[in-house]
Amino acid sequence: MANFTTDGKLCIERKLEVNRSEKEFDDLITRFDINETCRWITENNFLKVCLQFPDELLSVSTKIYEEIKKKVEVDLYILGDTSYASCCVDSVAAMHVQGNAVVHYGHSCFSKTNIPVFTVLPKHSVDVEASIKVVKDRFNADIKLCLFYDAAFEHCKDLISKHWFEYFPHGYISFIEIEENQNRFLGRVIRNKDGEDSAVEVLKDCVCIHLGTRGQTLFNYTISIAASQWYLLDPNTNKIECLEETAWFKRRRFLVEKCKDANVVGILVCKLAGDQTKDIISRMKQLCKVNGKKSYIVSVGKPNVPKLANFPEIDIYVMIACPENDLYSARDFYKPIVYPYELEVALNSNREPYFITHVTDYDQLLPGRPHHCDIHHIQETTDLSLITGKIRETKVDTHQGSSTDLEEKQTWALENIGQNLQDRSWKGLEQKLGETEVKMAEQGRKGIPIQYSDEPK
Amino acid sequence: MVNFTVDEIRQMMDKKRNIRNMSVIAHVDHGKSTLTDSLVSKAGIIAGARAGETRFTDTRKDEQDRCITIKSTAISMFFELEEKDLVFITNPDQREKSEKGFLINLIDSPGHVDFSSEVTAALRVTDGALVVVDCVSGVCVQTETVLRQAIAERIKPILFMNKMDRALLELQLEAEELYQTFQRIVENVNVIIATYNDDGGPMGEVRVDPSKGSVGFGSGLHGWAFTLKQFSEMYADKFKIDLVKLMNRLWGENFFNAKTKKWAKQKDNDNKRSFCMYVLDPIYKVFDAIMNFKKEEIDGLLTKIGVTIKHEDADKDGKALLKVVMRSWLPAGEALLQMIAIHLPSPVVAQKYRMEMLYEGPHDDEAAIGIKNCDPEAPLMMYVSKMVPTSDKGRFYAFGRVFSGKVVTGQKARIMGPNFTPGKKEDLYEKTIQRTILMMGRYVEAIEDVPSGNICGLVGVDQFLVKTGTITTFKNAHNMKVMKFSVSPVVRVAVEPKNPADLPKLVEGLKRLAKSDPMVQCINEESGEHIVAGAGELHLEICLKDLEEDHACIPIKKSDPVVSYRETVIEMSDQMCLSKSPNKHNRLFMKAQPMPDGLPEDIEDGKVNPRDDFKTRARYLTDKYEYDVTEARKIWCFGPEGTGPNILVDCSKGVQYLNEIKDSVVAGFQWAAKEGVMAEENLRGVRFNIYDVTLHTDAIHRGGGQIIPTTRRCLYACLLTAQPRLMEPVYLCEIQCPEVAVGGIYGVLNRRRGHVFEESQVAGTPMFVVKAYLPVNESFGFTADLRSNTGGQAFPQCVFDHWQILPGDPCEPSSKPYTIVQDTRKRKGLKEGLPDLNQYLDKL
Repeated sequence: MANFTTDGKLCIERKLEVNRSEKEFDDLITRFDINETCRWITENNFLKVCLQFPDELLSVSTKIYEEIKKKVEVDLYILGDTSYASCCVDSVAAMHVQGNAVVHYGHSCFSKTNIPVFTVLPKHSVDVEASIKVVKDRFNADIKLCLFYDAAFEHCKDLISKHWFEYFPHGYISFIEIEENQNRFLGRVIRNKDGEDSAVEVLKDCVCIHLGTRGQTLFNYTISIAASQWYLLDPNTNKIECLEETAWFKRRRFLVEKCKDANVVGILVCKLAGDQTKDIISRMKQLCKVNGKKSYIVSVGKPNVPKLANFPEIDIYVMIACPENDLYSARDFYKPIVYPYELEVALNSNREPYFITHVTDYDQLLPGRPHHCDIHHIQETTDLSLITGKIRETKVDTHQGSSTDLEEKQTWALENIGQNLQDRSWKGLEQKLGETEVKMAEQGRKGIPIQYSDEPK
Repeated sequence: MVNFTVDEIRQMMDKKRNIRNMSVIAHVDHGKSTLTDSLVSKAGIIAGARAGETRFTDTRKDEQDRCITIKSTAISMFFELEEKDLVFITNPDQREKSEKGFLINLIDSPGHVDFSSEVTAALRVTDGALVVVDCVSGVCVQTETVLRQAIAERIKPILFMNKMDRALLELQLEAEELYQTFQRIVENVNVIIATYNDDGGPMGEVRVDPSKGSVGFGSGLHGWAFTLKQFSEMYADKFKIDLVKLMNRLWGENFFNAKTKKWAKQKDNDNKRSFCMYVLDPIYKVFDAIMNFKKEEIDGLLTKIGVTIKHEDADKDGKALLKVVMRSWLPAGEALLQMIAIHLPSPVVAQKYRMEMLYEGPHDDEAAIGIKNCDPEAPLMMYVSKMVPTSDKGRFYAFGRVFSGKVVTGQKARIMGPNFTPGKKEDLYEKTIQRTILMMGRYVEAIEDVPSGNICGLVGVDQFLVKTGTITTFKNAHNMKVMKFSVSPVVRVAVEPKNPADLPKLVEGLKRLAKSDPMVQCINEESGEHIVAGAGELHLEICLKDLEEDHACIPIKKSDPVVSYRETVIEMSDQMCLSKSPNKHNRLFMKAQPMPDGLPEDIEDGKVNPRDDFKTRARYLTDKYEYDVTEARKIWCFGPEGTGPNILVDCSKGVQYLNEIKDSVVAGFQWAAKEGVMAEENLRGVRFNIYDVTLHTDAIHRGGGQIIPTTRRCLYACLLTAQPRLMEPVYLCEIQCPEVAVGGIYGVLNRRRGHVFEESQVAGTPMFVVKAYLPVNESFGFTADLRSNTGGQAFPQCVFDHWQILPGDPCEPSSKPYTIVQDTRKRKGLKEGLPDLNQYLDKL
């Protein structure tokens, strides 16, 4: 096994960039909800519990471990270096040790998991009164407002709601909700003064204000929640800033067109196993199939530019990943990466072709979820692509299911693959018969590909 | 009261020797559509009295309103020639025995330079061209451009001097002066023809000659015209001279002495130029008598010329009477018909020498031979040159010419787009032709089938073609050659719907627009912007109007016009650029350098071309550009899109596994050539050299993932170290104006970074022609500016000419290119600021 991995020395010497936390954690017990965690473990009688830390919290992981160990008699494991993103619960790693539950520390994306999770959110201090006053000065009390607060302020949500509803009795607050709930959207539910839940749709004509800092989380809110306007209120400076993502949407619509142009789609799996992941993969496969596009499932761990460029025949990637991921917008990739929703818009004509809000969470696209939409029956058509200026054809695999025409079916499949390979100039090993000198056998190289003994230095 | 039926036309289609496919071409405002009316009225499609006013071939409302042709329009007409005229047709391939009727398929084309692509499309499907020249303004820039294109496509020209009425009534030219004007125009036209055609070439002699009858004179507006043949006929009996001999005598240095009844070759006191005496004098007399109301003279003259005035015209006088008289004396339709039937080639004649220009495949395959012989029994070969909108929104007639075989309603055919290559499936569709139709200006008529040599429209193939294509029934057929336009889409505007939710409608509309115009480009850019690119401001204006009113049918917001830039370099990279692959095991060593002047153009014109044999290409590059021959043989590829004006050259020696990474390096090169380092614009005129490559010995560590991004990084480093520059498109601008206005022109051009390189007087006229280079970016609003500064006397024609380097270093924050780069980056949503060399360059 060791032979196939990187030289261990490299790993040890590699420098990691870690954002050091602003101060030492003097008050671990309250800061990391140690008491609550212990209570949760005992109440549920978990025997093996994994503590999952993001890179920046690994330094305190042992202390937390010790604190919990002191209070509860339980097998504890520390999970670090999460497979894909540390905001998601690494249920696979937990399964490796047959853990019953996970305690998740740090920033969370609140995605669904199939293992019991206790989420310990980061805690930042905030001057709630001052911040809400800024909002009050800026907006009239009679317009509809909704407050989103950063997960790090969850610990003072009572204070926030007290002040907020005092000034804006008709307003809403979007609370963090860990439990699954019909109105839960991106880990939040919207409640009014009396604590009644509302669906996200109520925000359509609302002005939304996010109390916190810029980041992927806020970005996902602004693109996937339809509101009349989005504002960012930074509690450190108490400045309000208006957010517009029109340019981003333009680019995404371009990518939707790119999906229609693509002949070969790579389904990039960057998410751990789970029912929804399997469902969305098969749905993506189905979409490609009915549209006559070839699809390949690609799993390369955390994707990067060189890894994906190894498949030059793939025209576009659809990435199945946690929405809190900035790879979707990266421009360095040889071929673009799209959200599952975008592939849906491109290939399922039952969907509205023009979107002003996005569905970042692919879970929402699955049957039974609010954004599910049946796949349209595709007919063979042609269309002009404004990107390439060429005619693009929707070829329907007419041989679907008809086993009698096996031969024809195979030719069809071969033709599809063959076209790409035909364009390559190098088609395999060149024998160069008669062109190379005859030599005595000599000793070849030793070692494994990553580092041969005769490597050019 | 059309005097022919569709059935008659269909019968004529089989008589391929009696077909004439022709286009009418000219400078803007020289009177093509007006003249065309004369033929249309002769065919009985419009009333004779309204010919010259209707402009039947201007089918669109805006064409009628603006009095300018925008789209070319085809019309089929049937005529019969009299027995006496038939004898002039001597070539047996120009006439079926015992057939007097002729089928004329005429295409009226626009004259404004912005719509030249329509002319190109018209020329492709015709064999002859009627070149119309306004005898007052003479041969203009667009006359030359279209004539040159015609000759290049092997289209035989005949000449018509239009607007004689103006010469007589407004300018009051003397007969001799008018002759000199005509003579000069004929000479000018023949000079252009001689420049682009070799008399010994396959088309033979194509010069126009009044004494042969291939030059007509007259007034389209008034509906009269003649060639020397008409006048010779009047005099031949009287003089007892053979018609052909007399025609020769009536032009050039032939003088007649009325007293001695002697012909002379020189002018002296008593004799008079025959053309003036026998041709112009009678016309002058008629004009003089009628315009000066000399009632008594009129009657005498009318009997002499054998015109009787109909009852309803009896009370007319002045211009109105002049029209009636001239029209019945010298009917324009008759003169034109004779010119066309006698002097323009039939498809049988023309396709013999046009085949090699038209067909990409081997010149001896079934398709080639079918085209050459114009054989209706051979496999079908049809070229679709443009798409014509139907009344059914979003659908088009595919308009084109059947060169071989027969196109039949319901026939299954292969539809091949311009990207089709034999043996591959790309851009190839096998579909049924739903209907074949006859295009008649504003009307269409369904028709069962159309044999070779004819022009027609098809229903049901528009979905498989973007703008042009080849339709065939021959399995091994190659494409018919793609048309080359003389203009390029260099002016761009970004469009978006006023109501954002209308975007899907806009996109649909853009797709339709892209089809309906031979040249317009509708592009969805990486940033998501929708761009419409056209030849000039007028072209764009029309396109956007069509988009808004006909194609998308939604209100549209449009940006100010902008140009697209290209990125290039002006020096050799000042260092060897090394980039390492992400795994650090592969190294690329490359440099960039500018191409020699002329090579990018050669690549764009197809003179240097990725499909050439590499040895021939290397020879050409060595001879013309002093490229090292071994290097020139190792051009890996052209880019962007595999054909663009940048090359990647392998200058390395003995590198192991190099063949294996070629595909990856090429992919990286295509990527970098499409999105340059400065502003992600296309590159132009850059040669990249690969000097050395070190590769990991194991294939998995030198795969695409390692090589493609590394190549791009290395090429970017090469560009940054080779003095990157921006290039902008430049118009060649020709301005015609009287002398007083020339000063104003210079003022306007100076303010717009233009520079004049030629200024000359048009011989025989008070008009001056100023030729200048004007950056396209400075040309917006140029026409209006020029008019206001010259009292409306100067009229410019701008056509894209070349790319020039925009002075200034884009890396210098105070320079203009820097601002352009930053603006572009911002628009594309890229990181602002300058690209950092250290990001791309690695140390050993």
